[in-house]
Amino acid sequence: MSSVALKTEKLDKVYKLGGRQVRALSEVNLEIEKGDFVSIMGPSGSGKTTLLNVLGCLDKPTQGKVILDGVDITDVPEKNLHKTRKHKIGFVFQTFNLMPWLNAVENVELPMEGTGKTKDEIRKRAIELLETVGLSERKEHRPQKLSAGEQQRVAIARALANNPAIVLADEVTGNLDGKTKLEIIKLLGKLNTEQGTTIVIVTHDSQVASMANRMLFLSDGKILAKEKQGTHQNK
Amino acid sequence: MAIMISIPAGITANQASTETLTQNLSNTITQTEATINQTLTQIECTLSPSMEGFGFAPPDRGDFNFVPPNGDSGFTPGQFGGGFVPGRFGGGPFGGGGTTAMNETLYDDISSIDGVAAVAPSLQASEGTEQTMEMFGQSFTRLVPDYVIKGIPLTSDIIGKYPILPTNITAGRNLQAGDSGVVLLSENNTAFFGVGVGDTIDVLNQSFQVIGIYGASGVEDAMTLYMNLSDAQSVTNNTGYITSITVFAASSNVVTEVANAISSLHPELSIVTGQQRLNQLETLRDTYEIQLESAETSLAQTQAIAVQEIVIAVTATSLIVLFVMLYTVRERTKEIGTLKAIGFSNLNIMSQFMLEGVILSLIAGVVGVAIGVVAAPALSGLLLPAVNVGFRDAFARATGTVSSVSGIITPELVFIALGGAVLLGALGTLYPAWRASRTSPMEALRYE
Repeated sequence: MSSVALKTEKLDKVYKLGGRQVRALSEVNLEIEKGDFVSIMGPSGSGKTTLLNVLGCLDKPTQGKVILDGVDITDVPEKNLHKTRKHKIGFVFQTFNLMPWLNAVENVELPMEGTGKTKDEIRKRAIELLETVGLSERKEHRPQKLSAGEQQRVAIARALANNPAIVLADEVTGNLDGKTKLEIIKLLGKLNTEQGTTIVIVTHDSQVASMANRMLFLSDGKILAKEKQGTHQNK
Repeated sequence: MAIMISIPAGITANQASTETLTQNLSNTITQTEATINQTLTQIECTLSPSMEGFGFAPPDRGDFNFVPPNGDSGFTPGQFGGGFVPGRFGGGPFGGGGTTAMNETLYDDISSIDGVAAVAPSLQASEGTEQTMEMFGQSFTRLVPDYVIKGIPLTSDIIGKYPILPTNITAGRNLQAGDSGVVLLSENNTAFFGVGVGDTIDVLNQSFQVIGIYGASGVEDAMTLYMNLSDAQSVTNNTGYITSITVFAASSNVVTEVANAISSLHPELSIVTGQQRLNQLETLRDTYEIQLESAETSLAQTQAIAVQEIVIAVTATSLIVLFVMLYTVRERTKEIGTLKAIGFSNLNIMSQFMLEGVILSLIAGVVGVAIGVVAAPALSGLLLPAVNVGFRDAFARATGTVSSVSGIITPELVFIALGGAVLLGALGTLYPAWRASRTSPMEALRYE
């Protein structure tokens, strides 16, 4: 097993928009090692969301390869992609995207359904994860009873449920106030340090981006050559 | 949606009751025809009321005035004394007699007439309560009978050979030659007296043991209890009196001659021969057949309307489910996208929505059935004027068996309604669920 969690080779994504071709991604080459904490920064329209869709197996690239945990996911047939998403990827969204009719622990259990674990194992794991994100007291609450920061913690716990090869975080602090924003980033940093979770956050917030280990810059669908060291130290 | 589901339930209920009506009419026709064949050799002799004062004054009991028994089937098997009720089926000379007492001994000579095979005198008396009605400024008194006593001679040479007893014995046994102190009850009688076979009943302060029970049918008097003639005479205080004489001719060829001979011997008697009865019965049968035809037409119309309404209800229900579920899917695009982004398969999503649609429809179905149970009779009457009150009453009058038609909710019907609800729910959810399963996981990353 290589030590590379995620690697892309000459990734192209071209959209057709009203007869016009829009090149959202252009020859993107990325290499993210296991246990790394990387931020990808870019202004609106730079292709951040497109890149995240492709990395998260939500969309197929027009050209190029995405090698996730040693497997080229562009070769995985469409009907099997949900398995890759379930087992290899953990998503954290800007708007949390919790299921409103499920309480915190049930939301965390959701991705573990159908993985062959027993109900007891799933419940135990979910409670552990909520403890990890510091929410063990609020596990019976529904999302609408939780603060924004608490909801995002539940979402992070959910992303970790199946021990994914990589956690993809999309503007995770976009809907949070300044204090909570820092708490969430610190939580991600802690998970990275203590559990060795590979994390990629996509953001346009330079403060958030700078709290990662590595900072990459996306502009007009291209990863810029310049790369910065963030404040976070990997283990 | 629930109401939509209750409509077919009401229709089906109504259809079922119309089918029962048709079935009953068919049975009645069959039985009437059987009776026609049995009666060809019979001659019915009764004293018409106008002949009173002929030296045949009735005994002092006051209950021999003519009374049409309510709910009475109209005629008795093989016996026509008082069987036909004037006015009920167009009347005629047929039903005039049978309630006026006749001195038994005056008619002994009938049995010696040439061509007479057997003579069966009988006594019939209605027992019940008198009711006075005001109508057009006049008051009428009529007897509302609880039961009708019929005494027939229980001798082996008559009851063994001629059809004067009911044949459809449902419990116990039929009357036999020599029986005394026992009665054969109709099913209606058992309900009135509240007894069964072996029990004892009180008839005019005299005890009788219930020996058997016969099933009432279209042609069997539903209110008549049968007993030995001598018992009937003593219990009704009519010793020596009868109300009708049934003469059996040796063959149908000599019926007319025998009738003429009786007539010349006893000009005061009204005599109805098998041929006349046949005509009467055939008229009756024709009446039933016309009613059957109208019932069948009505049923066909009902079914046509039912099919239309069911198609409309099914279409509407499915469309409602379709739109509700489509709206739900649209509303929940982001949730569905998220579920797919965190690893749910198309099949997971599809089955989730199918389940939801089916459960929703099942709940609606339960509510619909509940409404149906309460409202089906009213609803079916409203929706199906084809099974109208006139027809229903005509039938009730004709047979005395059906007094009302209403929606009947059976367990099968409930099962069908709920099954239908689930099926329609599944049908209406199919497309929305498929749409949901095709939702792109990228929707999870779309923020408004």
